[in-house]
Amino acid sequence: MSTNIIDRRRINGPQRSVEPIYAKPVVAFSGDGRADGRLPESVRPIFMRTGPISPQASSAASPSGSAYYEQGRIRISCAIYGPRQGRKANPRMGIFNCEFKYAPFSCSWKRSHLKTSDEKEIGLMLEQAVSPAIRLEVYPKANVDAFVTVIESDGKAATISAAINCISAALVDAGIELYDSVAACSVALSKDLQWVFDCTQQEEDAASCSFLMARMPSVDEVTYLLQHGKTTPKQTADAIHVCTNVSTQVYAVICRHLKETLEGKNESDQ
Amino acid sequence: MASLTLSPAEHDFITRGVESGFRSDGRGSLDRREVTLRIGMISQANGSARCRVGNLGVGTDILVGIKSEVNPWSPSDGVPENSGTIVCNVDCSPSAAQEFEGRGAEELNVELTQLLDRIFNGPQSGIDLEKLCIIPKQAYWILHVDVLVLDVKGGIVDALVWATRAALMSTRLPRVVVESIPDEDGVMQAEFDVVDDPEDMTELVGVENMPMAVTFFQIGRRFVVDPSEQEEAVSQARMTVAVSPSMDICAMQKGGVLRGFSPALLSEIMQSAQNVAREEFERFKKLYSEARSQTLDRMDEPSTGSTFLVPF
Repeated sequence: MSTNIIDRRRINGPQRSVEPIYAKPVVAFSGDGRADGRLPESVRPIFMRTGPISPQASSAASPSGSAYYEQGRIRISCAIYGPRQGRKANPRMGIFNCEFKYAPFSCSWKRSHLKTSDEKEIGLMLEQAVSPAIRLEVYPKANVDAFVTVIESDGKAATISAAINCISAALVDAGIELYDSVAACSVALSKDLQWVFDCTQQEEDAASCSFLMARMPSVDEVTYLLQHGKTTPKQTADAIHVCTNVSTQVYAVICRHLKETLEGKNESDQ
Repeated sequence: MASLTLSPAEHDFITRGVESGFRSDGRGSLDRREVTLRIGMISQANGSARCRVGNLGVGTDILVGIKSEVNPWSPSDGVPENSGTIVCNVDCSPSAAQEFEGRGAEELNVELTQLLDRIFNGPQSGIDLEKLCIIPKQAYWILHVDVLVLDVKGGIVDALVWATRAALMSTRLPRVVVESIPDEDGVMQAEFDVVDDPEDMTELVGVENMPMAVTFFQIGRRFVVDPSEQEEAVSQARMTVAVSPSMDICAMQKGGVLRGFSPALLSEIMQSAQNVAREEFERFKKLYSEARSQTLDRMDEPSTGSTFLVPF
């Protein structure tokens, strides 16, 4: 017994200690510059990987394709299942379903682990944005399901557009027949009435209007458009114009990554 | 939205008709159907309206009731400390279409609820939400906009906004008296009292600035507004544009999973939205004042089933 007696009041810390690393203070969003020093029209750097969720051998339960996507602090993963038999069936064409989920720890406040109506709506938006790109007529009676998990989010519109980009990459990885990849981008109207690209949560809260656009650049078709907030018709037309340019750039990034992945795959096959 | 199975021949007939500028019921591509509007038929609600788009007995039929509620403020509600809020909820009744039974209408309900919320909850709605604040950081009004879709025959979004506009315009809130009362420590505390007098009610501020929604349905290479049930079944995509009386764009949302819009079509839609909305505001003003005078006429009569049903 006596050997177990230790002084519990003494802090048994290490001999040497170091100062903790503090988070950098974030400067509030003001008209004359962005908190992270970006230009108004610049998008946070994009990182993506296709196929992070490895298909298990001999298992129908593994995804046919997957992707991981990072854009600044936004982290999203997506898995595609199908074409497979599903709940709903249309004898003439396939159905694309999308389930969108924020992880409980993905936002500055705690998210519910149950699906909220907000998440249901974003799932619908993603379906509406991505479906026009899929050749659904070649998958009659089948379902293609996408499961999107937001690991970390920063700005609602930016997260939705990142999810769209992530799904497009995962669809290519799954080998689903597409007309084109969908590339999305978001802008918000800052205090000095300028469209600012790819806003963080803080910038979005200060903005009076947020705007989201998804398009298929090589067929030049706008597959999704969402505006929340008031603008003049001229400003909306401007937003469409600038989003067209930037979505083409985002598209180039997605395509370059997919091409590199494909080339890498071919090399390893040989 | 209600799924209607059409034969390939019907499908082709409607598509080609729209592409060459003809519609089966003789309307032009930007013409709307007849609208019937009644307000104030629900005595228990703070505001109510019923709107039918289409001919007598067959048309999209929407009923909106508005209930107000005083809510204690809490930072986790997400409501700014000096403003009130509007909470929308859309429910598609299974009586409207068979596929709405059970959980069949769930997706549609979510989509329409969020769309309505995007148009009406916020400064873009024109309503002065700060006037709905009773005491900052203590209490505020919530307006619950509950929409019941009784029948669906195409063009549901526009009808929804028509009815909600009318209901919000007819909404009367009880007056609230705020007074400062010292507590035990002599510190002044704001307290409020809701005046319980049906004569002493106030209108919402800024209802005249509420936007109007115009939804365009893409059919083939062209688009129409206010589609019939058949036209809606043929359409591949839709675009809702909410326009304020000062011709600003208050919200925009694409719907439909089959196709996207070409940029040329998009800019044409933006142009047409303003023109259509301008006419709609005129029409709404006329129909609303008619509905209002009818409600005032019936004030002394006892409320019966026939007052609710007759015009529909």
